Amino acid sequence: MFQYLVRRLLDLVVVLFGVSLLVFAMVRFIPGDAVAIMLGANTDITPDRVEALRRQIGLDLPVYEQYWNWLKAALRGDLGTSIWTGTPVLQEITARLPATFEITFLALVLAIVLSFPLGVLAARARGTSGDVLVRVLTIIGLTLPSFWVGVLFLYFFSLYLPWWPAIGYVPFTTDPLGNLARVALPTVAVSLPMVAGLTRILRSGLLEVLSSDYVRTARAKGVGERGLFYKHALRNAMIPVITVVGVQLGYLLSGVVVIEQVFAIPGIGRLMLGAINERNYPLLQGVVLIVTAVFVVVNLLVDLAYAWIDPRVEYS
Amino acid sequence: MSRTKLLLIAFAALLGIAFAQQGRVELAVDQAPVGLDPHIVTAFSSFAVIGQVYDGLLEANADLGLDPALATSWTVSPDGLTYVFQLRDGVKFHNGRLMTADDVVYSYDRIMNPDTGSPQASRFTEVDSVVASGPLEVTFTLKVAFAPFLANLTNLTVVPQEVVEANGGSLQQVAVGTGPFMLKEIVPDTYVLLVANPDYYRPGEPKVAELRYNVVPEASTRAAGMRNGTYHLIPDVDPATAETLKGARGVTLMGVQDLAYTLLGFNVSRAPFNDPLVREAINYAIDREELIDAVYFGNAVEGGPLSPGLVQWATPVSNFPCYASNPDKARELLAKAGYPNGFDAGLLTFGTIQVVSDAAQVLQAQLAEVGVRLAINVAEFGAFVQAWRNSDFDTFVSLNGGATDPDGYLYRTFVTGGSTNVYKFSDPAVDELLQLGRTTTDRTERVNIYDHLQKRLACNGPIAHVAYGTLFSAVSDQVTGFKQLPTRGLRYLREVELH
Repeated sequence: MFQYLVRRLLDLVVVLFGVSLLVFAMVRFIPGDAVAIMLGANTDITPDRVEALRRQIGLDLPVYEQYWNWLKAALRGDLGTSIWTGTPVLQEITARLPATFEITFLALVLAIVLSFPLGVLAARARGTSGDVLVRVLTIIGLTLPSFWVGVLFLYFFSLYLPWWPAIGYVPFTTDPLGNLARVALPTVAVSLPMVAGLTRILRSGLLEVLSSDYVRTARAKGVGERGLFYKHALRNAMIPVITVVGVQLGYLLSGVVVIEQVFAIPGIGRLMLGAINERNYPLLQGVVLIVTAVFVVVNLLVDLAYAWIDPRVEYS
Repeated sequence: MSRTKLLLIAFAALLGIAFAQQGRVELAVDQAPVGLDPHIVTAFSSFAVIGQVYDGLLEANADLGLDPALATSWTVSPDGLTYVFQLRDGVKFHNGRLMTADDVVYSYDRIMNPDTGSPQASRFTEVDSVVASGPLEVTFTLKVAFAPFLANLTNLTVVPQEVVEANGGSLQQVAVGTGPFMLKEIVPDTYVLLVANPDYYRPGEPKVAELRYNVVPEASTRAAGMRNGTYHLIPDVDPATAETLKGARGVTLMGVQDLAYTLLGFNVSRAPFNDPLVREAINYAIDREELIDAVYFGNAVEGGPLSPGLVQWATPVSNFPCYASNPDKARELLAKAGYPNGFDAGLLTFGTIQVVSDAAQVLQAQLAEVGVRLAINVAEFGAFVQAWRNSDFDTFVSLNGGATDPDGYLYRTFVTGGSTNVYKFSDPAVDELLQLGRTTTDRTERVNIYDHLQKRLACNGPIAHVAYGTLFSAVSDQVTGFKQLPTRGLRYLREVELH
């Protein structure tokens, strides 16, 4: 187990190195650099000034030298500074993490709290009108894009409940109620497709398990329906659910760009989008690195959760 | 008088002062400032904020005239080469230090220093020297007479040397100026908070205690926030969102003629656009009225090389024959140029500004009718800028900003080898007129020169000027005193009151 952990963490280092190299090369293939973007298409500037600006932000060096400098600093824990503002990249990222983390975890909790009863209900009442209703609702939930739901929420709340603070973000520590009121709408919008997805997976997982041999045997030796369902079936139906939750969590933590745009939430997704649009190389590099690390760690946690749920799973 | 009474009066007086500036105006802007250094930044999102913090020697007013700011008066020598400015006495930086002529000289030197990398240096290439000729007097000597010099001085932002040095030479993260508001707090991607400068040199201003720039990237979210009273002011509203805000309760939509314009640019180093007849034909093929209805919902006007907003300078479009849409004439000219069956070419554009991509589609459809078949390439903005700078296009559609002085836009765009002459346009007669325009100081003569120039450029130039839109702002009824500037500047925020 310990060996397994160490190996996985070493993998992480390799992945991070590969990703940093890839991103470094990729962003430099996109036409236009930070200076070109800043000057835009209509600024009166002489070519020597353009060069002076490039020099100022270190874009005049050869690419491999830029990467080497970046890598040396990154190994010391210094991800560099944002090109124009000069703010440390790490500081830019940590300023955006709370909002993204908060919405991600609330959305996940909401998805689990809602999808479990719904999935269990649909599986237990298979074929009834309740099951059909749940299935229709989940199809709707999966089909509606969350940004569109977000825009609808925004319009509804600003027109009919104008006192509700629907736009923007305040930290929980400054104003707990204001924080919850503001994250409520984006959280619901983000979690709806998750609720729908998890409900469907849970339902089909349960149905599959319920029709398996060991369930029939358990039933034959007289295990009660409740015990059978919650003790034997549910646990086995959890494996695919955990997988999906893990993947979703990774995506959510890397920022729900569109939702952040719609609700003006200062999250990781917007930071990354802005960094791409401005060709803010160090910032983009830093964000991708952190997001990759989060993704890999979440995957690791998911793998560990398998063993916790299913004792037959072993790590070697 | 008893002591208590005295105290009460003193207290009331204090309250009076404290209450003179009250309330916080909530603005909704689409982007956070991209750095704060007034000598480096070019983004509008940055100027919206630092325009309140710093002052120039002069500032543009709502009629595009020049008002004194840090300079109170100035004299020009008869040969137009020497300008002497008297500076305002008793102006304090936000750190409490008095501003003097040395600060103006320092700021000029900082802009011109190549290590600063200031894009604004290009505006002062005609300046020979700047000296502090007195504690509150600055003398500029020019190499040649240069009519747009005063207009360019609105860009000479005065910064304090000690603050620059204390921050390692960069002002990107701090802002210490002489302006009506002081920077208090920046929360990344959330808001920028400014507070009133108690020592501001104009008595009674600013009238509100705080300005908060809320960063709201989505236009429909800004509009929703305007409707429910979250925001008091959206400085820049696109035409489509403006339509949705028309008639919203408690919201006034203001409009002013924009200096910026949508254009169809030609690469005149490539056939067939090297032929003036082809360019003229395309102008005839464009139906500007139809385009304005389709793209701007009617909220735009036709205009030549200068914005109709520059009332004293712009030549009315009735002087440009090619502005009367006439497809038959267009076909006739194309045939004359050797393209009786039209031709195929590329059209480069980008997707981040709605009116630009919409205009590209309308132009494509209109030109197709006379046989000019354009293949649209919607590039990502950075890629667009790159191709644009390298003149890597047949034609392009974009939105260009104007300038308050005609020279500010025309010279760099049309002069041979000009810094934004990506069209590779070169016409000796145009060059001569441009040169004359910047060295002539007599107003009537200048108007005459630019009139000639506009007539020469309108139909055969490298640009088909398509439309000048209305610049919209949405203002809550709780706010009074706001005025729009065609330059998109926000200087009137210091006169805004909240009720």
